[in-house]
Amino acid sequence: MLVAQLINGLTQGSLYALIALGFVLIFGTMNLVTFAHGEVFMVGAFVGCFALTLWHLPWYAALALGMLAGWTLGFCIEKVAFRPLRAAGHMPPLLITIGLSIILRDLAVILFGAENRSVPSLFDQTFPLAGVQVSLLQIVILALVGVLIVGLHTLLQHTEIGRAMRATAQDHEAAYAMGVNVNRIFSLAFALASALGAAAGVLVGIYYNAVYPAMGVTAGLKGFAACIFGGLTSIPGAILGGLIIGVVENLTVQFIASGYRDVVAFLVMVVVLVVRPQGLLGRKLRAV
Amino acid sequence: MRRTVISLVLAVAAVSLLGAPGAWSGEPIQIALSGPLTGNFAEYGQNWQKAISLGVEWINAAGGVNGRPIAVIYGDSKSDPKEAAALAQKYTADSRLVAEIGDFSSTACMAAQPIYDRAGMVQLSPTASHPDFAPGSVWSFGIIGTQAGEGPFMARYAVQLLGKKRLAILNINNDWGIATRDYFVKAAKEMGAEILGVETYFETEKDFTAVLTKLRGLKPELLYVPSFYNEMALMSKQREKLGWTDVAMMGPGSLFSPKLLEIGGSAVEGLYTSAVFFPGDPRPDVQKFVKGFEAKYQATPNMFAAVAFDSINLLADTIRKVGTDRKAIRDELAKTKDWPGITGKITFTERRDVYKDYRHLVVKNGRFALFEK
Repeated sequence: MLVAQLINGLTQGSLYALIALGFVLIFGTMNLVTFAHGEVFMVGAFVGCFALTLWHLPWYAALALGMLAGWTLGFCIEKVAFRPLRAAGHMPPLLITIGLSIILRDLAVILFGAENRSVPSLFDQTFPLAGVQVSLLQIVILALVGVLIVGLHTLLQHTEIGRAMRATAQDHEAAYAMGVNVNRIFSLAFALASALGAAAGVLVGIYYNAVYPAMGVTAGLKGFAACIFGGLTSIPGAILGGLIIGVVENLTVQFIASGYRDVVAFLVMVVVLVVRPQGLLGRKLRAV
Repeated sequence: MRRTVISLVLAVAAVSLLGAPGAWSGEPIQIALSGPLTGNFAEYGQNWQKAISLGVEWINAAGGVNGRPIAVIYGDSKSDPKEAAALAQKYTADSRLVAEIGDFSSTACMAAQPIYDRAGMVQLSPTASHPDFAPGSVWSFGIIGTQAGEGPFMARYAVQLLGKKRLAILNINNDWGIATRDYFVKAAKEMGAEILGVETYFETEKDFTAVLTKLRGLKPELLYVPSFYNEMALMSKQREKLGWTDVAMMGPGSLFSPKLLEIGGSAVEGLYTSAVFFPGDPRPDVQKFVKGFEAKYQATPNMFAAVAFDSINLLADTIRKVGTDRKAIRDELAKTKDWPGITGKITFTERRDVYKDYRHLVVKNGRFALFEK
């Protein structure tokens, strides 16, 4: 059972990690937090669900469409909530994203209803591994998340645009002085982060067979937690943070009780942050 | 002349809007409804609304109640205890409303109960099955039967009829889920079954993989799941995905809904449940209701539609006898004996709830069917 719970935990954790990466990209490049990320995730899940159930598209097309919707939405959010307020400090964009998240969630309730919408099962097969039955879907999800992470890594480390993004993350003004179009980089980072969040939404919908308007609330919170847990601007940190939260939750269900999963997950996080305020793999905070 | 014609047309239109054959001798008698018209339990609430508006249509077409039409005021509680209590405040303050039907979950009913109790207004719940609900106030009535009846029935089904001795439980963590679980567990233990494990989940839970993996390790023969169709369907799909096939799934009558089959698909095949109302029942009044419902809504009514239909008709019959005084309605309702409903005869016990006859159901070839050994 332990192996089965570890695989359950890793699958769930990899989805948290994907959401956390979005927060890292946005915070890393723009030094700002968005609270609409959970709702971008939800919109991705709905688009994926419609692609599968209404338009009868294959899963990869559903994933691509979900990511495209996330990309577009992220691009718009950056234009509306962040760009005009660049000089206004941290608070106004933060509040705007809280407002946007409520608008998106309530719009989804009005348009689609508050109830669960069923998503068809995919990759139903199971196969034996280390003495337990493992679901093919879990392996597919882990593999897809892995591919997205490798893709992101390649983009950031081995392309011109990735270098521009890293330069912007280190110092906006210096990057601007070197001829980097900082505004374009911000747009790109936000859209990319949103596409990853939406991809997580599509995969969660397929994994749990359900999408509903409030699904972004906990997902956004868990992703944000994984991002802080990992060290706020560290990509490996966010991945590690997501995986740890996922595994801890599932082991809690196995060894304590189902109701304690969030309690223990957040407790572990609080303890780690008290001991290591910079997060698991974060840089040491500079004294101001 | 022209003006007279127009007003005549308007008058005819107004009367036909009320659905009445002739002029009414009084204002409509207003009954309030509090139920989940939207939200996670929306399918149940919408079934209520459909069945009740069909009931009202038939009552009014047959001349109404003592020459007055019946009108129902629909309020959406989402089956949220806070919303149900707020609606109760609104309803009890409105003197035109003579009685209330609702709410859906026992939890929401019990949250609103003190308000109806203080104001002195009948609270007739079509679905609350918590054994403490109806005894909680002399103004509260429940017509679905309680878990004190259904729990032992399901335990007999599992242990004696199906011969399953190793059982595990996964219940929703609210008043209803806990009571449903406890009555089942008590009866099953008395019949010699072994309860291997009990797990609970919160109402918003969507991920059951971890808890199912844990229960699977206990190797139960049957998993009893006090829950609603939504969670049961997701749970069944996730169980199928985990490849856990050597277990029977069973749940109380709350699962009896076409949505369970629609969402659950092949994963709910072989699932055991029960019902107080089965549309295939040959009794003439049941068939009249089923045909009328199907003609109006192009859908087969479920148990929730049937109990709501009984609720509105029971109230109409009671008002017919004693008029519209809130206290008189309560006193007469409490005396109800052998009232012929489509969900069986209704006789209130001194606790103002009822004992029901249940049917053994199983999902077979993607449909609900009567269980035959």
